[in-house]
Amino acid sequence: MFTNTTTTRKNSNRLAGKDLINVGIYSAIYFVIIMALAMTGYIPIMMPLLCVIGPLAGGIPFMLFLTKVKKFGMILIMSAIMGIMMALTGMGLYSLPVALVSGLVAELIWKRAKYSKASSSVLVCGFFNIWMWGNFIPLFINPDGYFSTRTEFGAGYEAALTALLPSWMSPVLLVSCFAFGILGGLLGRVLLKKHFIKAGIA
Amino acid sequence: MIEFKNVSFKYANADSGSLQNISLRVRKGECVLLCGQSGCGKTTLTRLINGLIPHYYEGELSGEVVVGGLDVRDIELYDTARIVGSVFQNPRSQFFCVDTTGEIAFGCENLGLPPDEIEERVKLSSREMGAINLLGRSIFQLSGGEKQKIACASVSAMRPEVFVLDEPTSNLDINAIHDLKETIRLWKKEGKTIIIAEHRLYWLTELCDRVIYLRNGEIECDMPMREFCRITPEGLRKLSLRTRSLKELCYRKVSSQAGEYLTLQNYRYSYRGSMPPVLDIQEAVLPKKGVIAIIGNNGAGKSTLSKCLCGLQKRFGGHCRCGSAVYSRRQMLKKSYLVMQDVNHQLFCESVEEELRLGMDGADEKELVRVMDSLELTALKERHPMSLSGGQKQRVAIASALLAGKEFLVFDEPTSGLDFYHMERTAKLLFSLGREKTVLIITHDPELIVRCCDYVLHMEWGGVKEQYQLNEAGLLKLRYFFENGERKRISVE
Amino acid sequence: MSLGILQTTGQQRGMILDPRTKLLLLITVSTFVLGGLGGEKFSSVIPALCLITLILLLTAGRIKAAVIYLAAYLAAWLAALLLLPQLSGPLYFLVLGSVGIFSRVMPGVAMGVYVVSTTTVSEFTAAMQRMHISEKIIIPFSVMFRFFPTVGEEFSAINAAMRMRGISFGGGRIGKMLEYRLVPLLTCSARIGEELSAAALTRGLGGNVKRTNICCIGFKMQDVIFIALCFTAFAAVALVYLGVL
Repeated sequence: MFTNTTTTRKNSNRLAGKDLINVGIYSAIYFVIIMALAMTGYIPIMMPLLCVIGPLAGGIPFMLFLTKVKKFGMILIMSAIMGIMMALTGMGLYSLPVALVSGLVAELIWKRAKYSKASSSVLVCGFFNIWMWGNFIPLFINPDGYFSTRTEFGAGYEAALTALLPSWMSPVLLVSCFAFGILGGLLGRVLLKKHFIKAGIA
Repeated sequence: MIEFKNVSFKYANADSGSLQNISLRVRKGECVLLCGQSGCGKTTLTRLINGLIPHYYEGELSGEVVVGGLDVRDIELYDTARIVGSVFQNPRSQFFCVDTTGEIAFGCENLGLPPDEIEERVKLSSREMGAINLLGRSIFQLSGGEKQKIACASVSAMRPEVFVLDEPTSNLDINAIHDLKETIRLWKKEGKTIIIAEHRLYWLTELCDRVIYLRNGEIECDMPMREFCRITPEGLRKLSLRTRSLKELCYRKVSSQAGEYLTLQNYRYSYRGSMPPVLDIQEAVLPKKGVIAIIGNNGAGKSTLSKCLCGLQKRFGGHCRCGSAVYSRRQMLKKSYLVMQDVNHQLFCESVEEELRLGMDGADEKELVRVMDSLELTALKERHPMSLSGGQKQRVAIASALLAGKEFLVFDEPTSGLDFYHMERTAKLLFSLGREKTVLIITHDPELIVRCCDYVLHMEWGGVKEQYQLNEAGLLKLRYFFENGERKRISVE
Repeated sequence: MSLGILQTTGQQRGMILDPRTKLLLLITVSTFVLGGLGGEKFSSVIPALCLITLILLLTAGRIKAAVIYLAAYLAAWLAALLLLPQLSGPLYFLVLGSVGIFSRVMPGVAMGVYVVSTTTVSEFTAAMQRMHISEKIIIPFSVMFRFFPTVGEEFSAINAAMRMRGISFGGGRIGKMLEYRLVPLLTCSARIGEELSAAALTRGLGGNVKRTNICCIGFKMQDVIFIALCFTAFAAVALVYLGVL
């Protein structure tokens, strides 16, 4: 009677509706968390700090998301969506290309890890979070465009900006996104083991 | 139309809900009721018909499921979608779009129909469902019943031959159930094949032609509705089924508890931007000890009342008097606890024990042991709260409230989607809690009310319509409400 | 917590622009004001773009947003004009830098507010379909907007539960504060997401036919004007770089 028993796990590499919906859901959660933190960024001093707390907190939903990623393209799509959202909310267009590159790197690492290796997942989380750095690029390039000579503050502004966000800060922020992304990934892994696997959702 | 040949299925990562050796034939135009205890495999059976098994939920499947002449295993989900339309339990989670029109059109858009035809179909099916006035609205502003209407319209617009409904009334009030009944009647008239998995039976006796009773994944009986109606109420209890008719309800005689009263004063609240207050009670006197049922239609202000009572609404100025003591909003927040419909919102820790210790005032070990014992949680104390069953989670939430020294316990729909056995268990627990604390239950479940409540508070339009002791006369009022519902509130522009 | 991003129904929106026009406007504002495209020569474009943003917000009936935008912008300038001369040393730099960053970011954000608060999700997806963006982006995108309010609802329910337990502040520990919120949030969202997937799939999502869309969008007179304005600005920059102007 049980001759035609089939195990129903399917191994199609094409992204199916289920995968795309998962990307949407976790993008929503991730984005809400980042946005809630970014509200503190209206105080300019806090802005660079976003590269610290953003990846740290964002790592938790992202690591849960990774447990659902079994096909090529899901991380990349999530990165693209983050880039588009930044453009939509007026944070500039630089995030999109940055996100595409960092997303692709993350995607490739995760593919190499055969979508399961724990240590790689943390690294993937680090690379993914680099998209945030894209938001800061316009502040580092072309600082003279804005105030320029229209006001007496022109020269002062350049100096002030250099003081607040000196150009060496740019790579620092990049590294910080990556490093705290990794820490966020580790944090996410802890919670994954502590809660989500037991709760049956990972 | 539907044929199962020796079908067995086991989920990849769960033991419950598996099916064994199901053979079944449903003719075109039949309306079939699937019933049985929780975990008996009703939902699994519906998932086999709409193709979610094996294409979405993974597991081991054997045998053959043929729907409309096609083997569901061979065709993709989006092809099954043309033949089988599905309505699910939770109205909140089955939406893809954020606006009602888009939602009704969603299925047709996926089929790639031309926009003009979709417009036609959206109009037609929303007219049929009585949902014309809901078009162009935000989904998030609709009540549960309205959402379920949109879900039906969306499925109907795809014009499938088979409709599968999985516990569609779990979150609905009496009027919404009535509307759903009309919808199904319409589908039936159009000659569609309808499969309904459901715990609540009283609205289905005149609708379904055939009843299939499942136990532990097997079909135990399969009979025409006429025959099912002949089973005695005691026979139904044995099958762990809910009542077939509200006429069978009888209440539990309680020696009325003498004494103290609780007075709610100035219970008024309106949400930002909405002019008429959703809650408007000048004064209401309720018994302090006992179990109070809060009934009324969706939008009557029941949940707002519960939130105000628990001190959760920030701009709320009312207070609660008990003897000589007057509790403000802040004090009520300390003294009361709301057990939410989705208990998952209130479980935070890694283990049941840790969960119970969190928020306990002093670490009173004896009390902890006593409460855990009385709620049968001792054996579960190492488990992760989220890994428990719905009923167990509910008990954890109750235990945490008791240990935090709460005096007022409010329950929001504690028995939605429960079978007879689990409902009765919950009723017993609520009843015993009511001997020491004030227990308020928001519910649409008449069977629960007659089993545990002493008192009924009937709300309408934000105010108290009636309040009465649940005795002979009270039972008649209660029965009248659940049989006839209320005329709906005319929606204000 | 309600995120006012991409509203759900199309009521009260004043002058209707095609979503693609709005995107172009947004790109123009971000590149000129935030990105500082064109340098000094184009500094006069900036006030014009700021003004367009303000006007659009006003025509869309976003009076509150417009007032906040205007007030914030003016406050920044006043701070620069009145406060700065009184200051010296690091404080001077701090205020000047902050004001500068603020006034650069603000117009872009205001335009973003305009775009997302006047476009419905279905208009936006229709626009993306017209721009031939892959379904692989469009589907997750619309799910995300469907899910924002859900995340909000879940979040406030969890917050309420925490208040009743008296653990809103996690006993003073930031880690716990985050954990207690995120764990139930993620668990509940994951469950809802699973049900959402099942419901969408049984209605034929992900099929091999091309999806259609009943939302009509299209360019009108007002779109042409704004598109022409944006292109003029970009063309002028191009001409400057080519040395024509």
